[in-house]
Formats: sequence, C-alpha cells, structure tokens
Amino acid sequence: MSAEVKSQNILESITDSDLDPDDREPIHVPNLIQPHGVLLAISIETERIVQVSMNTQEILSLEPEELLGQSLTEFLGEQQALAVKKCLSADFEHINPLPIELTAIESVLHFDGIVHRQAEIIVLELEPRLPTQKASFDNFYRFVQNPLKRLQKTENLEELCTTLAQEIKAVTEFDRVMVYRLDRDGAGSVIAEAVESELEPFLGLHYPATDIPKQAKYLYTLNLLRIIPDLKYEPVKLFPDLNPLSDRPLDLSMAVLRGISPCHIEYLHNMGVAATMCISLVKDGQLWGLIACHHNSPKKVDYQTRTICEFIGQIVASELTSKENSQDSDYKIKLKSIQSEFVASLSQTEDLEVGLTQNPQKLLDLVGAAGVALSFGSGITTFGNTPSKSAIKGLLPWLATQFDRDIIYETNGLAQSYPEASDYADVASGLMALLVSRVDKTFIIWFRPEVKQTVDWGGNPYKTAVRSDGTLRMSPRKSFAKWQEVVRENSLPWKACEVEAALELRSSIVGIVLRKADELALINKELSRSNVELDAFAYIASHDLKEPLRGIYNYSSFLIEDYGQILGSDGADKLNTLMRLAHRMEDLINSLLHYSRLGRAELLLKSVDLNNLLAGVLDVIKVSARDTQVEFKIPRPLPTIKGDRTQIEELLTNLISNGIKYNQKQQKTIEIGYLDPDDPIAIERGLEYSADNESKTVFYVRDNGIGIRERHLDSIFRIFKRLHGPKKYGGGTGAGLTIAQKIVERHGGEIWIESVYTRGSTFYFTLE
Amino acid sequence: MKDNYKQPLLVIEDSDEDFAALNRMIFKTDIPNSIYRCEDGEEALDFLYHEGEYSDRLLAPRPALIVLDLNLPGTDGREVLAALKKDRDLQMIPVIILSTSSNPKDVTACYRQGVSGYIVKPMDIKLLERLVKNFLHYWFKTVELPEINK
Repeated sequence: MSAEVKSQNILESITDSDLDPDDREPIHVPNLIQPHGVLLAISIETERIVQVSMNTQEILSLEPEELLGQSLTEFLGEQQALAVKKCLSADFEHINPLPIELTAIESVLHFDGIVHRQAEIIVLELEPRLPTQKASFDNFYRFVQNPLKRLQKTENLEELCTTLAQEIKAVTEFDRVMVYRLDRDGAGSVIAEAVESELEPFLGLHYPATDIPKQAKYLYTLNLLRIIPDLKYEPVKLFPDLNPLSDRPLDLSMAVLRGISPCHIEYLHNMGVAATMCISLVKDGQLWGLIACHHNSPKKVDYQTRTICEFIGQIVASELTSKENSQDSDYKIKLKSIQSEFVASLSQTEDLEVGLTQNPQKLLDLVGAAGVALSFGSGITTFGNTPSKSAIKGLLPWLATQFDRDIIYETNGLAQSYPEASDYADVASGLMALLVSRVDKTFIIWFRPEVKQTVDWGGNPYKTAVRSDGTLRMSPRKSFAKWQEVVRENSLPWKACEVEAALELRSSIVGIVLRKADELALINKELSRSNVELDAFAYIASHDLKEPLRGIYNYSSFLIEDYGQILGSDGADKLNTLMRLAHRMEDLINSLLHYSRLGRAELLLKSVDLNNLLAGVLDVIKVSARDTQVEFKIPRPLPTIKGDRTQIEELLTNLISNGIKYNQKQQKTIEIGYLDPDDPIAIERGLEYSADNESKTVFYVRDNGIGIRERHLDSIFRIFKRLHGPKKYGGGTGAGLTIAQKIVERHGGEIWIESVYTRGSTFYFTLE
Repeated sequence: MKDNYKQPLLVIEDSDEDFAALNRMIFKTDIPNSIYRCEDGEEALDFLYHEGEYSDRLLAPRPALIVLDLNLPGTDGREVLAALKKDRDLQMIPVIILSTSSNPKDVTACYRQGVSGYIVKPMDIKLLERLVKNFLHYWFKTVELPEINK
C-alpha cells in the first residue's frame, strides 16, 4: 500500500467514525486552494495536464482551458519537464522547491515549483518566487547555524521551547510565535511564546482538544509546515471539479496550497489573525505540538525560509526526548535511590506482603503518592490517605477491567472515568494501579489528593458548539479572551518517571517471586531428602530397637521354660511382667513406625462412598466388639468424598473404636453423621479457619462414653499421651488419635473435639 | 527326599539372641540336619564360595536351605541374596528371609530377587516355634530339593 492510499484510508476512517461534527469535515479534499500559487494535476501515464486551479490567468497569464490537455513538455519545456518527472523517483523533500521559469508574453516568470505524487497524478504547485529569496545552501546554513547553536545550549524543555519561539520569530518576523504543546487527550497549551510587546501574551493559555480536529492533527504529521499568507483570501476552485482520472475531488493532503477549512479560517479570524504559519513537532510519529506563528496583517514567507523553519522544527523535535528525559533529573535520582533501597529490603523478606508493608512511607515516596492500598486476594491493606476499604473494594471490579493488556493504569482525574470516585475525590483524584498478578488479582494502588487548579483558557472552551440552520456543525468560538476555570477532582499528573518506578517495582516483585519459587524448590528437595532419611531412620529404629527387645522377651520365656520350677511362682510373675513390658515396648515402636509411615505414604485420592466404607468398618468393629452392647446410629446417608480409602477407614475405625473403648454405659451408642453447612458449629469453624468461601463438610463421630475433662482436651492428640492407666479401658499405645489427626491433616482437613465429662464426646473433622 | 537330611541348614544371622532362639526352636523339631551359622554377609559368601577361613570344603558343606536375615553388619542380607541369585549353581538353594522388617518394600524386593519365602520375626516365642516347625517340615519333609552338583 502506498503512503497516499494509506493516508486516504486513515482520513476516511477518521471522517466516518468520529462523532465530533467538526472532526467529520473532509478537510483534505476541500477542492479549493489558496490564491497565492497555481496547482496543476498531471496524469503520470499521459504526462498531460488534467486539472488546474482557476487562477492561472492571474499568475501564468494562461486560461485554464488553454492548459488542460497540454503535455508537461509543452508547458514547461523539455528540460524542466524532465526535472519534474525525475522528482517522481526521488524523495520530494530533497528536490523541492524546483526552480521553474516560464516565458510569458513580455517577461520571464520565476516560480518555486513544489512537486508531489498523489496516486496516478503528479501535483505541481507553482508559487511566484519572492524577490528577497535566500536561495543558496550557504544562505541556508547561515540562517540555521545560529539558531541551532542557541537551541543546543538550552538545558531543559522550557528553555528549548522559549529559544525555539524566539529563533523562529527572528527568522520569519511573525508578530507572534508560540510553542503549543498537546497533552494526551489532544488539548493544548502555550508553553513558550515570542510576541511583539504591544500584543497581549498568550503564554500559559489552554485550548480544548476540539480546537484542532483529529484529521487536522493527522495532516500535521504528514505535512510538517502549513502556511496561510492571507486569511482573507478568495479561495480558488479547481477545474474541472472532479479529477478526471479518479472521478473524485483531488486529495490535497500533501498540497502546500491546500484550501483552509472554513471553520479554521473563522477560528483564526475570531482570534484576530491575518496570516499564519504552522510547523509540526512530531515525536515518535505522534504530533507532540506545533510552532504556531501568527501575523496581524497578511504575510508571505518564501519557500527557503519555510524550509529553514521546518528544519529547525525537526531538529527540535529530535531533541524533545532527551530534554524531556532530563527534566526532573534530581527527582528521578531520588526516586531511583528510594527504589533500590525498597527493593533491597523487599528481597530480604520472606513474605512479599510483609515486605511491601514494612516500610509504607517508602512505598508512597516511590511514586510520590499520598496513599497506597495493597489488594492481596481478598484482603486490603491501606497506608496514608486513601479512600475507605469498602470504597476500594467497590472500585476493584472496575479497576480490573482497565488494564487490558497493560499492567499499569493511571489517571489524574479518577472521577471522570469512574464517577463514584467523586465521593472521595479529596484523597483519590489521582490513581495509579499496578497489576502484580492477574491470576491472584493482586494490585498495588496509589492515590493522590485533589489539587484544585486554575486553568487559563484561551476563550471559554465550553462555548464552541453552535447550532446553526439545524445542523450540528461546530462553530469556532467568538471570544478568545482569557477565561478562568477552577478544575476540580484532578490531582497532579503522574510523571513518566513515577510510572516507570512503579513498573520497575513490579519487575522487582516478579524477580523476588521467582527467586522465592527457586528457594522453595530447593527446600522441597531438601525436604524430600530428609524424608528419605527419616524413612531410613524409622526402618533402622524398628529393626535395631526391636532386636534387643526380642532378646529380652525370648530369654525371659526360656528362663520360665527351663527354670520355672526353680524360680517358683513369684519369679515366674516377675519374668512375665518383663515379657509384658517388652511386648508393650514393641507396640509403641510399631505405632511410631506406623505414624511415621502415614505421614509420608502417598495419598491415593479417589472418590469414596462413605456409606459403603463405613459399613465395612462397622463390620470389622462388630466382630471384635461382639461381647459389648453397641448401637450404631447413622441419621442420614453420608456423602461421597475424595480421599484415600485405606486411611479414611483407619480414621473412622480409630474414632469409633475409641468411642466404644472409653465407654462404661450399659447401652453404648455411637452416632456417625455430618453437619449442615448452616449449622452454627460449621459456620463458626468456617469463619474461623477457611479463607476461601467454599465451606467444607463437617463430619462427626459422637459417643455416649466417659467424656474428657476440659483440661485434658488440649493433649489428647499428642502421641503416646494416655489419660488412663495401662490396665484401664483395654490399654493401648495412645497413638490412635494422633494417627487420626495425621490422616485428617493429610486430607487437608481439621479435627477437633467437644466433650462433656461422663456424658460423652464428639469428634468433628473435615476432609479435602 | 532321603537326601534332604544330609545337607546342613545355613543360618545367616548377626544377633546371637535371635540365633539362640531360632536354634532352640529347631532343636524342638524332629529335623536332624546340622546347622551352620554365619554372622554377617561377608562370612556367608566365604562359606558358600569356600574362600577365606572356609577354603577347606569340609568346613563348609553346601547347605540344603539358607535362612537369611536382611539387616546385617557390613555386607547386607540384600547383597548376599543378590549374589546368590546371580550364581548359576547357588541360585538353586532355596533362601528363606527371616527379618524384623515388615516393610512391604523389602518383601516385594526379596521376592523379586527370587526368595523362596519371607518370614517376619515374631515377638512371641510360641509363634516363632510354630513358624520354624512349619517351614522346616515344608522344606525337609514335604518338597524335593535339587541334586547336589559334586
């Protein structure tokens, strides 16, 4: 796609889509030109003139009809025609202007020829050469040398722009030269000015975005210099109206003589201007601003001077980045040092949230904010001046949608994009949010207070829309008298370096998170190694501890066998005690071994129907407890859960057999069931322990046994802790509840007990 | 079957007390075979290969059955087992593991190596008596053992 076709598309898309009526005006095809030159459209294919401006008689002493159909060679002579054609294969910038001489009836006319290509057409514009032409390279160099030297000496943006205005004024002798800077939204303000002393200064005045419509801004990036020598000009039509090659009006985007939009003329008229020149300042392909020159009487500027101005404009544009970067350099250094300190202390903390909050002042200073909120998961922590936590919570869903693909969002007028923020505009007119993790919805949100600002407008910007004859056409405002506005619900804007500091904080955080992940992997490796060691230890312990034990046991029994008669019953009793103790020690070792294996065995998580599982458990228990009277109650069918079948079997076996074992009632009852999610016990537990919203099912095993005294409740889960003597309640190692607890914990649940002494106990547990 | 009594029983066991208990139980049975004991894996391999102090073949007759403990000082029971089962000749001798370990990993590993049985040492002396009687009866009174390669 050629540049022309592309620009055409962009312009059309702007015209079609924009709702602002003024933006709809197709200013690139006015079909009119300014009268200070002539425009000729020449077909590339036939090299014949196909369209001319209607002022050829005045400037060339030739009627338009005479020119139409003429070949380029007939019109310009062979040499000059060749020069024009050569332009097509070269960069116009280097060729223009082309000196053109035309022989009229009495004299030779001198022109600056400006050539550009528009699709299949050569557009040739001829401007009579002014007598004071500075037409050589030496001159050009002399004229740009001093301004450039002075511009290079400037230290900051302000100085650069002021010098620029002064130099352009010196070169062009316009009454007023302003540097007009556009902000993000397209509104502008005069940031530097050189003006004749008798005129009122415009420096510091603001202009709304509508003053320069979008397509005009776009044309400014294509055509770096625009000139209107006399605003009171009579526009000249093209003949014929439509370009015969395309059957459409000729695209004049690149034409220097392009007619001015009536709206713009009216605007300048209202400002009291008679002639203007505009030089674009384009930075990174975007219109950064304009050098706007005004004159209060008509003023011609020769092509050479224009080229000088355009050149200076381009030099300055290339300087903008470095000047903008060097702005606030002290502040930037300060930010950097805060940042490195902050990152250093952050990287030493184990927990990111703790690290971020341990020095809140630094977190604020890092971006020059007055308040900050950390939103980690469901919790919000605030420091400094911030809206209320509930207000921040309310803001989050909206904020989350503002990032798109970006990770940072900032505004200095929050209430304009999020009206609810009006309520707390005093603390949060400015907001900068850093998306730390999209997955966890982790944000750092900084706030800035409202700063009431007085903005001087060049005329009331709210009185631009005028309805005339029923259409919505914009009419430029009549008055440019200074109009003051107090802007509310705005904070100081976030500087680029502050936004950058926030972004760098994020990369530090990401770095820390990654490093923590590495450390975690290392710890895991370490852990699995020590688990292997523990396994070996348990194994060795079981073998090596049991071996002497077995010896003691065996030799005792040999003694009884071989010398029982001699020892008598007293001796045999003592030996039997020795054997019983050895047995007990073996039980303890086995429990310990089992407990240690339980902690490390891989869980086989499967869907388990608890009804089925419980039936199996009860069958086994009924066999071993057949002498006792036990009633098992299952009030309602149990759910199916996910878990390790063997371990859950053991869990239920332990709890149920405990209920039977520690029970002296004639009629023992064991109830196995689960609580409703709205049961007070479940709710209390849910609020206290689970951070996520999904509540776990609380199961219970209830007995009418001996119960446990309050003071013992804390110790019952401790391994080998027994509350009764070894001969009471059938003995045991005291590992059953410890193992039950381990199983529950391995299933990600909790176990706890409620007990009334002598009345019974209820064990509650959750799984998953 | 008649030859089963001629060959000795080799017990590889480091614990004197455990060996004493086992020995006592074997005497209570009616198996007349002689019993040889090695205290560690190194010694057992010397015994079986007639090396070191057992270079005299008469001191180390080929056993009909080996009772092997797993946890041994120095060369471990597992290593002895692996060596035996790799030897074309010795691999024919049935090996019974008698160990404290009830770890399923050990049990599986031993059967994979080709043991003929795995017995967990019981604490109860009466149980041990029964177990010893059972397996000796099985190996010396029930099954046919392979011919000795002279």
